[in-house]
Amino acid sequence: MRGNLHGVRVLDLTDEPGFFTGKLLGDLGADVVKIEPPGGDAARRRAPFWGGTSDPERALGWLALNTSKRGIILDVDRPVGRDLFLQLAAGADVVLETAAPGRMQARGLGWDALHARNPRLVLCSITPFGQTGPYAGWRGSDLTVVAMSGNLWCTGDADRAPVRCAMPVSHYHAGIEAAVGVVFALLARRRTGEGQHVDVALHEAMVAPNVGTGAMAAMSTKFRGQRSGAAIRLGESTQREIWPCKDGWVSFAMRGGPARIPGLVAMVQYMTEHGMASAALQAKDWKTYNHNLLTQADADALGAEFGAFFLTKTMAELYKAAVERTLMLAPANTAREIVASEQLAARGFIVDVEHPGRGTLRFAGPVARSTSKDPAATAIGIRRPAPRLGEHTAEVLAEVGVTGDALARLRTDGVIA
Amino acid sequence: MTPLFRGMRLLEFGGGAAGPVSTRYFADHGATVIRVESRQRPDFLRILRLTPDSKGGVDGAEHFNVLNANKLSVALNLSKPEGVAVARRLALWADCVAENFAPGAMAKWGLDYASLVKARPDLVMISTCLNGQTGPERHYPGFGGQGSALSGFNHLTGWPDREPVGPYGTITDSLSPRFAAMLLASALLHREETGEGQLIDLSQVEGGVICLSEFVLAYTANGETIDRAGNRSRHAVPHGVFRCLDRPGTQATDRWVAIAVHDDADWQRLVDALGRPAWAVDPTLATAAGRLARVGEIECHLEGWTRTQTALDVATRLQAAGVDAGPVEDLGDLHDDPQLAHRGHFQPVEHPILGTHPAERHAIRFSAMEPRLERGAPRLGEHSEHVLRELYGMPADEFTRLRDLGVFE
Repeated sequence: MRGNLHGVRVLDLTDEPGFFTGKLLGDLGADVVKIEPPGGDAARRRAPFWGGTSDPERALGWLALNTSKRGIILDVDRPVGRDLFLQLAAGADVVLETAAPGRMQARGLGWDALHARNPRLVLCSITPFGQTGPYAGWRGSDLTVVAMSGNLWCTGDADRAPVRCAMPVSHYHAGIEAAVGVVFALLARRRTGEGQHVDVALHEAMVAPNVGTGAMAAMSTKFRGQRSGAAIRLGESTQREIWPCKDGWVSFAMRGGPARIPGLVAMVQYMTEHGMASAALQAKDWKTYNHNLLTQADADALGAEFGAFFLTKTMAELYKAAVERTLMLAPANTAREIVASEQLAARGFIVDVEHPGRGTLRFAGPVARSTSKDPAATAIGIRRPAPRLGEHTAEVLAEVGVTGDALARLRTDGVIA
Repeated sequence: MTPLFRGMRLLEFGGGAAGPVSTRYFADHGATVIRVESRQRPDFLRILRLTPDSKGGVDGAEHFNVLNANKLSVALNLSKPEGVAVARRLALWADCVAENFAPGAMAKWGLDYASLVKARPDLVMISTCLNGQTGPERHYPGFGGQGSALSGFNHLTGWPDREPVGPYGTITDSLSPRFAAMLLASALLHREETGEGQLIDLSQVEGGVICLSEFVLAYTANGETIDRAGNRSRHAVPHGVFRCLDRPGTQATDRWVAIAVHDDADWQRLVDALGRPAWAVDPTLATAAGRLARVGEIECHLEGWTRTQTALDVATRLQAAGVDAGPVEDLGDLHDDPQLAHRGHFQPVEHPILGTHPAERHAIRFSAMEPRLERGAPRLGEHSEHVLRELYGMPADEFTRLRDLGVFE
């Protein structure tokens, strides 16, 4: 397996907010070396642990997003370690890092130093707010950057505080943007011969999930957002879009338009077959239906019928019918339903990854599929499990000529492990 | 430098956010991005909020326009064979093709990869849809609301004692375009190096699930389901959102500050910033375990302190003390955010119906190239003649004949 990024050499110094970028580049075929400090990344000490007991080789969050990487332990905060890092950087294409702005310079590993050492190198920095600006020196984490993006404000119930997703959505958005930035910089390097510094901000990356409504807040409606629980404000009414069913919840919108009205018609037909559509609903003229013109009473009446029907069916029953009848409905899956999905199984998305000495873990697999004349040249997917502590230290340092006694001395001195 | 993608032609089919947002990355760096649209079936963002009174009709939709700046629009009636023939010629002329229709739609017109690659062996194309191009559920169409539900984000978002609410903005609509841009760029790099093209098949559900790899592993490794948990962390206290004053001198209202203490050192910084009140200096709260056991009480005390101040004042004070905190900004506040202003996140563009309005840049800044917003979004079919005649080079009489047949509708 080679992949679109075959031959691209990446040094990954990131902490948790940046793990995803290196994983994605590795899944696309880049040779990614995860560089951890002595003792390993902090995320190796965070639960949940595989089997429940604390063990740096079994931290599930760490294992999840460090696949397709080799791993070394190198103390870049010591002069000898820094020099070794610069040696590695001299032969690398990309460095990924998440240190607070200024910290890499303080280590002697800032953009100017790296660029001087290797003018073709791309440095990608992923930080809460970016490298410069009034908040560049602020601390930030998923909760606080999502809070400052408008996205948190709009999520949740009107009678409670804004509420987050239990998983760090800012890491995903910024992590993918960083991968876009790296590949763009590699494309630019083909034209100019030079690398550049790519500056990605988690905070700014989280404005995008508002899908344009951030910009719209300065336009005609001045709509600053609103928390409306499992519902959305459209036109004159608030319309429910996540509904309780017999054993969980389903997503279903009462929105019209040419792409959606057939689904509404099919849903009414399905309800009719179960004797659960009123005469008024069966007689509804969908040709003139416009969800923006519903009064709250219209929306509530329509919602009451759909809602009553969903309560009689399970998530699985509703989704099966949805796929067969194109109902534009989907269940609010947990990991249980995701792992059991026939669709994901048929696509080979759920994959087993062998973790030497620990067993097999069932993973989310390739981010996409590639079809080409030479499939091995464009393959996407997990190349190897996340590395064990220092698993590739000797192998990677041998690539820059550090072997034998020199290697042993570095180990004794605690610069590497 | 010359914009990175200057001279590159990217043809885009489909609509909504998941597809079109991805091509903006290329447009902002100089690519000529051409949307193929139709009057029979306009992009759903052109009609999402459309009423008979909407100014400019399908051309005036703010939602469409803020997301589609920097692009050209060609209207093609794909229910006419002549329209399909023009689409095919444009697809073979373009450097790459992006589409996010439900699977089967492009094949029906002979515009799918398998059909096009015969005439264009180095074609780079990306297809994104809800469930991907293969598998038993491939034909099931969907929007972001379904993607967010199927991939687990709805389940994970909200309060533990209440129903799921889903992240605002149907999150697969913001994840998918970023994956698509990354994948498309990697395919372009591969073609530059090897001369070979490819089709990328991106499932929006899979893209969402891969982000949630830890959520998947917790279940497959330990049988544990990670559930929505409000704003609390399983590891640290306090970690939440606390009520504040709207303005000095008013009552606490719907304004909030987010505060995240990650470890015991953070807690001591917070205690100092609070002025070391009696409740906080309690030594049993000095450890994470101690704080986790009394989370409700700590949150209550902390909110007693925040609610007499504005969110920005609290955040500024805590940040000065080295504590991670930030004001909860509503969508309007984003336009007053000094950091977003510093990064030039919102950029003005011109639109014939909306006038000057803000469009957004992505979260990436490059030291040697500047993303540019050069024009507002196109009106439906605004550039049919420009693209066909001037860029593609279609003879005038042929263009006129096709136009009179209603092909450019």
